[in-house]
Amino acid sequence: MKARKIVLTSGKGGVGKTTATVNIGAALAKRGHRVILVDTDIGLRNLDLVLGLEKRIVFDLVEVIEGRCQVRQALIKDKRFESLAILPAAQTRNKDSITEAQMARLIDELADMADYVLIDCPAGIEGGFRNAIAGADEAIVVTTPEVSAIRDADRVIGKLAERSIPMRLIINRIRPDMVRSGDMLSIDDVCEILSIELLGIIPDDEEIIDTTNRGEPLVLGEGYRLRGIYEKIVRRLEGDLIPFTNLDAPGFFGRLIGALKAG
Amino acid sequence: MLPLRQPFDVAHDDAQANAAQTSGAPLTLGRAIVVTSGKGGVGKTTTTANLGVALAKRGAKVALVDADVGLRNLDILMGLESRVRHHVLDVLEEKVELNEALVRDKNFPNLFLLAAAQSREKDEVDTESMRDLIEELREQFDYVLIDCPAGIEMGFTNAVVGAQEAIVVCTPEVSAVRDVDRVVGLLGNAFSPQLIINRVRPHLVHKGKMLSVEDVNSILRLPLLGVIADEPDVIVSTNKGEPLALRTDTATAKAYHTIAARIAGEDVPAPMVEYKETFMDKLGSLLGGRR
Repeated sequence: MKARKIVLTSGKGGVGKTTATVNIGAALAKRGHRVILVDTDIGLRNLDLVLGLEKRIVFDLVEVIEGRCQVRQALIKDKRFESLAILPAAQTRNKDSITEAQMARLIDELADMADYVLIDCPAGIEGGFRNAIAGADEAIVVTTPEVSAIRDADRVIGKLAERSIPMRLIINRIRPDMVRSGDMLSIDDVCEILSIELLGIIPDDEEIIDTTNRGEPLVLGEGYRLRGIYEKIVRRLEGDLIPFTNLDAPGFFGRLIGALKAG
Repeated sequence: MLPLRQPFDVAHDDAQANAAQTSGAPLTLGRAIVVTSGKGGVGKTTTTANLGVALAKRGAKVALVDADVGLRNLDILMGLESRVRHHVLDVLEEKVELNEALVRDKNFPNLFLLAAAQSREKDEVDTESMRDLIEELREQFDYVLIDCPAGIEMGFTNAVVGAQEAIVVCTPEVSAVRDVDRVVGLLGNAFSPQLIINRVRPHLVHKGKMLSVEDVNSILRLPLLGVIADEPDVIVSTNKGEPLALRTDTATAKAYHTIAARIAGEDVPAPMVEYKETFMDKLGSLLGGRR
């Protein structure tokens, strides 16, 4: 059976594509799936860092495509999960070192070896973007509730629609307090503008910074607030109907402050 | 890949005169500075908008150029999106005159925006024409700030081609540091890159959960222009199209004004972000060190 081939893309950079790829991939692996993560950001790779695998890289995606090594030689198994592997991007090459057709063939080959192939797309809509979506048959569009990120996401959605790639949306870095005070667009606002199916809502949480820098995906750790959120996203991806958490409900500190004000 | 240029020595006190000398043009030629990073979402556009406002506030004639063809955003951050009628490609393809395409800022008559084309592709930009366009802008403006797209593809090449100087924006994350290091490598011995470290959260640095300014710059080793704190204000300002530097009373606004002064050659110390223990920190440690 062939794997699902899903690209994570956004247009705008820095909205959390790589972080989402790693955490969704790790959560799928934890559920027993065989998962391959592909870093297509040739020249600016980072997926290896977020998983803490940067020192284990021997071969890269461009070398596989150029036939300098076998796919299996270039795949790096995760330290924690046997069933999770990454194919790193080349760091010292250009994005035009490969073609869309070559990428599509490579993703197909990987699909024979796994249950899920997640493709981490570079920022922008240039050649790197076209290569990243070439082999995908589904897309996850990641955005943040900022006008600039939404405008870029809208542009990417247009490009994916041209190729009839089905897509779903993750809204990252929501700050419920700012939504309540009217300083941030709400989930409904974003969904209305982009009008594609919602897959997940991820609050802005400082724990993501530290776990990213340490190369430890938080879905594999204990006691992280965002872990449950990623697990729900993965279950939705697998077809379960999971209701969305109501982020508008005040949290502990919100209630505390509310109580102080009321008092 | 990148055109090799004469090493450009930006002396802080007399950079403008230097710019003119190196290019062999009259002394009035302005400075073209590209704002770049490699990684997306670190704050290139926010930095461009705020430094543009801060330099304009000092009385300089400033042009902001959005080089992110296909994914423009500088117009939104400046609150000028409904006033954009023409874009960079219209000018490059000689459909309109440069002066027709420049959009005047709402707050400063000496600040202008040249928007990127939204429905075009980056490889439609001719690199040589882009270089000429920036040169033409330098004849009219004291500063030409070029907002570079994320990545290191054609959009990057076209954004840096007309610049003599570079400001690289980095956040305290290992992925951003790695990307910036790569971009500094691509800039080579030209552009005299200077560093802005953006989105620092001092309380996280204090707890050892975020790289410090020293950590970042021990890897990059670049002259530091300044440090900007991570604040929710930035999101609000982006959404409203009102750069924070329009004000003068907030810490972040002050930091942008200081950086602008440093760019202009004033001998003032780089703005830093200091850790102050807040009520929430105290409450946190009282409750037994929540993560």
